[in-house]
Amino acid sequence: MNDNIVSYVLSLFDTAPTPLLVFLIFGVAIFILVNVMALIGGLGTYAERKISADIQMRQGPNRVGPYGILQFLADGVKMITKEDIIPSESNKFLFTIAPILCLSGVLATLAVIPISSGFILTDLNVGVFYLLGVSSLVGVGIFLGGYASNSKWSMLGGMRGASQIISYEVPVTISILTIVLLAGSLSFKELISGQGGYPWTWYVFHNPFTFVSFFIYFVSALAETNRAPFDLPEAESELVSGYHTEYSGMRFGFFALAEYIEVFVVCGVAVALFLGGYKVPFGLGGDTIFGQFFQIGSFFTKTFLLYYVVIWVRWTLPRLRVDQLMSICWKYLTPIALFNLVGTATWIWLFENKSMVELLMSALSGSGSTGH
Amino acid sequence: MLTTNMDIYIPVVALSAIGVLMVAGALIVGHFLRPKNPNKLKNQPYECGEDPVGSAWANFNIRFYVVALIFIIFDVEGALMFPVAAVFKKFNEVGAGGVVLLSILVFIAVLVQGIVYCWKKGDLDWVKSFKVPDSESAHEVKE
Amino acid sequence: MFDSFLFYLSAFLTCFGAVLVVLERNLMHACIYLLMSLIGTAGLYFTLGADFLAATQLVVYVGGVVILMLFAIMLTGGGLENKKDRLANLLSYIPPMGSLKSYIWGSITAVAFLSFSINITTKLVKSTEINGSIKIGPTVEQIGVKLLTDHVLMFELSSVLLLGALIGTAIISRPSKEIFLERK
Repeated sequence: MNDNIVSYVLSLFDTAPTPLLVFLIFGVAIFILVNVMALIGGLGTYAERKISADIQMRQGPNRVGPYGILQFLADGVKMITKEDIIPSESNKFLFTIAPILCLSGVLATLAVIPISSGFILTDLNVGVFYLLGVSSLVGVGIFLGGYASNSKWSMLGGMRGASQIISYEVPVTISILTIVLLAGSLSFKELISGQGGYPWTWYVFHNPFTFVSFFIYFVSALAETNRAPFDLPEAESELVSGYHTEYSGMRFGFFALAEYIEVFVVCGVAVALFLGGYKVPFGLGGDTIFGQFFQIGSFFTKTFLLYYVVIWVRWTLPRLRVDQLMSICWKYLTPIALFNLVGTATWIWLFENKSMVELLMSALSGSGSTGH
Repeated sequence: MLTTNMDIYIPVVALSAIGVLMVAGALIVGHFLRPKNPNKLKNQPYECGEDPVGSAWANFNIRFYVVALIFIIFDVEGALMFPVAAVFKKFNEVGAGGVVLLSILVFIAVLVQGIVYCWKKGDLDWVKSFKVPDSESAHEVKE
Repeated sequence: MFDSFLFYLSAFLTCFGAVLVVLERNLMHACIYLLMSLIGTAGLYFTLGADFLAATQLVVYVGGVVILMLFAIMLTGGGLENKKDRLANLLSYIPPMGSLKSYIWGSITAVAFLSFSINITTKLVKSTEINGSIKIGPTVEQIGVKLLTDHVLMFELSSVLLLGALIGTAIISRPSKEIFLERK
């Protein structure tokens, strides 16, 4: 219930916890995780440019390092050495706070992401709910970024961005509620333990309502991260660059880093809720240390597949208008999500929480033995 | 398996602090690496090459506020539904699943009425077209 | 050791944020200090073992109410004045709400009331240990069971309350007919 990486490591070595040991293990784990996430954020920019180049039949970055893989390091160096321009009429305090809020909000969600059954930084009892709450800090950060720049484009981008984020939180909450109904708990470990390694044991194929719910969650969470085709707050052709027009250099770098890490977190949560999390098919590795590596590999494979789909969608679909954005959320996604919630609750009551596959198998075996 | 009960919240505090420190650290490092030539033209807010005119915010539409209020109501509804959803399975095993289902249905039905009302009265539209009853032209306010 | 650190951090955030909200002249800055204070309150709930309540505080207050307040400040055209916060002299530290007299009376009353209540409650509380006396249990399940058995009427009535708030929002924010006829 409240497991975390410290209890796992201590159980490996069979030692008793002392404050120093606890802090040390947490420190090392957090250091590793933050570095890996920053690397994923940087490589995400590289992956985006390469994949978009592939879709548009051109090369993409291929100068810096082999196949251009060190491009994000060059971008980082460029951003740090750029001049720090703060617009004259802006609100200096809010101008500095906005990227801090965005980045802190996203990093704090990393504390509950289930990477493997041992490597969860902390498996809070209210894991999913906590994640929803902390990711709303990004909305506040975007609004402040737009307001503090004191430019018309940024203000408009900031307001639209904040209202888009809060609108799409409603379908996300209701889709997560659908899965919580199935699992019976809010902690990530219990949500994943209800699923298995094989695809037909995942929650996405449990009943038709959760199947639709997966797509609703994916689309709404994509809109929450301000990613195309929902990227009106940062639309290049309309608002010059939306809420981060006036940010240059490293301040802009933090907004971009927060966005890429947030996309990773969203994909990770989708994998944990709907696609079986870190469970490995055939139960490879079992309970040993090798099992942990298989689980980490399984989680990252599924998350990167979803990440690829996110990038693919960005370069394929055109951008939505702001009134289309809002009407999709309130008139289509929210009613469908509510219907899924009621439908899943009814399914659980009628069929005692058996998935579609289980019902099919029992129907086939039942008719096979008594029929003919 | 931890020294105290509150140790599970160490990553939460530590990661938020790392967020703040990362930004502060990068800005301080950049402070020494950057050129610093502030210039009146460079510090002006960007308006596609024209001179910026007027303050940044002249007109505000109320629909941002309406959307935020509707969001809060659905957020509180979600927060109330979370504990109920978490124990639904246990109630179902005991046999009281139907009663809980009825409670959930009543709760959601009341809120669906609310969203239907807002929809019909046009509060969910981003582009409101007001039809004045005694004239043929419709006045459209578009953001 | 982390227990007391978490408690002191949350208490510092809450109190410091609240004091800054009152003393700040710029409305948008005051909203951000309110955000800090609400996050501190969530931390205090965490130290008490009420993890669901803390998460609800984060979701509803930090994610909803603060954004609502920011939008409300924009709606009323606030934040345009008082762009430069300079401290003119020491007298400008007096909070903008109320006069000097009301501030002095208010602080005297608050100190008197606080000392009285602390005097009473410390006689009732036997031990003041932070750790060891809080049971970390599954509060979500307990709240869920109570909501469905003891307080099911409150549960349904809260949905009616939310419906009332929704309809009230819709009615208040609708422009009246006179505005259209003027615009023609």
